Amino acid sequence: MTSGIQDEIPLGHSKRKKAKGINSLDSIVPAAVRQPFERRDPLSPEAQDIATQRKRKKKKLLPESETSFTKQNGNGLDPQPVEEILTRKPRKKVKKTRAAENANELGVEEEDIIEEEQVRSSEQHPVFSAPVGVSQPISKVFVEKNRRFQAADRNDLIKTTENIDLFLDVKASWTTKDVALSVHHGFRVVGLFTHGFLAGYAVWNIIVIYVLAGNQRSAASNLLEQYKTLAYPAQSLLYLLLAICTVSAFDRIDLAKASLALRSFLTLDPAAIASLLYFAALVLSLSQQMTGDRINLYTPPSENGSLWTSGAEEKILQPWIVVNLVVALLVGLSWLFLSYRPQLDHSEELFNAEIEDYPPLEKEAQIS
Amino acid sequence: MLQTSSYSLVLTLQFLLLFYDLFVNSFSELLRMAPVIQLVLFIIQDIAILFNVIIIFLMFFNTFVFQAGLVNLLFHKFKGTIVLSAAYLALSIFFHIWVMNLRWKNSNNFVWTDGLQALFVFQRLVAVLYYYFYKRTAVHLGDPRFYQDSLWLRKEFAHVHS
Repeated sequence: MTSGIQDEIPLGHSKRKKAKGINSLDSIVPAAVRQPFERRDPLSPEAQDIATQRKRKKKKLLPESETSFTKQNGNGLDPQPVEEILTRKPRKKVKKTRAAENANELGVEEEDIIEEEQVRSSEQHPVFSAPVGVSQPISKVFVEKNRRFQAADRNDLIKTTENIDLFLDVKASWTTKDVALSVHHGFRVVGLFTHGFLAGYAVWNIIVIYVLAGNQRSAASNLLEQYKTLAYPAQSLLYLLLAICTVSAFDRIDLAKASLALRSFLTLDPAAIASLLYFAALVLSLSQQMTGDRINLYTPPSENGSLWTSGAEEKILQPWIVVNLVVALLVGLSWLFLSYRPQLDHSEELFNAEIEDYPPLEKEAQIS
Repeated sequence: MLQTSSYSLVLTLQFLLLFYDLFVNSFSELLRMAPVIQLVLFIIQDIAILFNVIIIFLMFFNTFVFQAGLVNLLFHKFKGTIVLSAAYLALSIFFHIWVMNLRWKNSNNFVWTDGLQALFVFQRLVAVLYYYFYKRTAVHLGDPRFYQDSLWLRKEFAHVHS
């Protein structure tokens, strides 16, 4: 490639021959490659020293070589594109060789010594590196905000970036497992509240029924008259609360794992007993749906189309009141059993254990 | 790998649908001023159950276990949810058709027979079991184990092929 470029250079044939003869191209190339460095970094003290040394020596000896150097250093502050530098190299090299040739003619070997120094200096730095200068830290940093660069204090900026890093770390560590666990914990809290609320509600409900029914349940018609507006809302609310409580109790014993759930039942685990009681309460409560609707649609037996016949009220109400009482007792007992060990949660234990038992393969590989 | 944000979104949607279902199961008997109100509530409830089933199956398809070809393993692990969801959907549709058929002329009629009462109890009990199993499955599908290669999966794979 260099020979091709050389062909383009308008130099005399004899001179080129001479150059080839005295200094082969191989020996020229390192010097040529050095030139961009010299030109790019004119302000570094080493390079300046070398340049002045060379100038001094060449002033004495070679006026021609001096011109070649002034040409090189004249453009020092204006970095040129690499391509241009490359195309220009050979010409300068030839000039140099010419200078060296002249020096040989005069019998001076000093040019070679300078070359060695130059080689050393070029070895110390990478050839195409950016100018090496000591950076001056300033307190202001310009940050682009709203398509404008605004000055910001460096310390503030560092603080904010640290905060962002911290935020990103927190975000990255939030996995699907954490989401699942937080939902599980959330539901457990809701369940804990519902257990207490349901127990209180069931007790209130049975108290209201007994108060309205009066002594020896003689005031059945009064109870029906007063309670008919309450019957369906009470039934609906009872189902809602019972459903949530049952699911919560099942969660605690991890019913889906049949063997574990059975073991819990056999060992009379409080959570297992509570879930059994809740389920029984649910069945009993649901079985009273028909009576509940009958109470809801109550009209005095004297009216046409009434569902109630006179004298049959007590017969229908008696089992309904007893069932409500049993439901209230079951719910209250369940609440007591669950509040005995409120932290008991087999689902969560298993959820954690399953993951720890089987680490991903990548982690295993790293450990081994 | 399952993204945390998308998993949260799917979980929220599933819980919303479950809560709607629980709400209708609890208060549909109260909201029977006109038969059409109950009809709309019941139709949306059945669609919600169907949507929940579709979502849980889409979550299954998204797991590494399913993509590795261990469909049986996944279905075996969550067979309770699948069976209960199907049973609950069938029971709900059946009960809704029966009740709406009896109440269409007059929503305040006393329509209860022993058969209807039994179906009502079954439907509501299966509903509670469905909530429990569905919630458990939805939460468990957030386990990263289902979305990456693991020793557990290799063992299961070897167990299936031996």
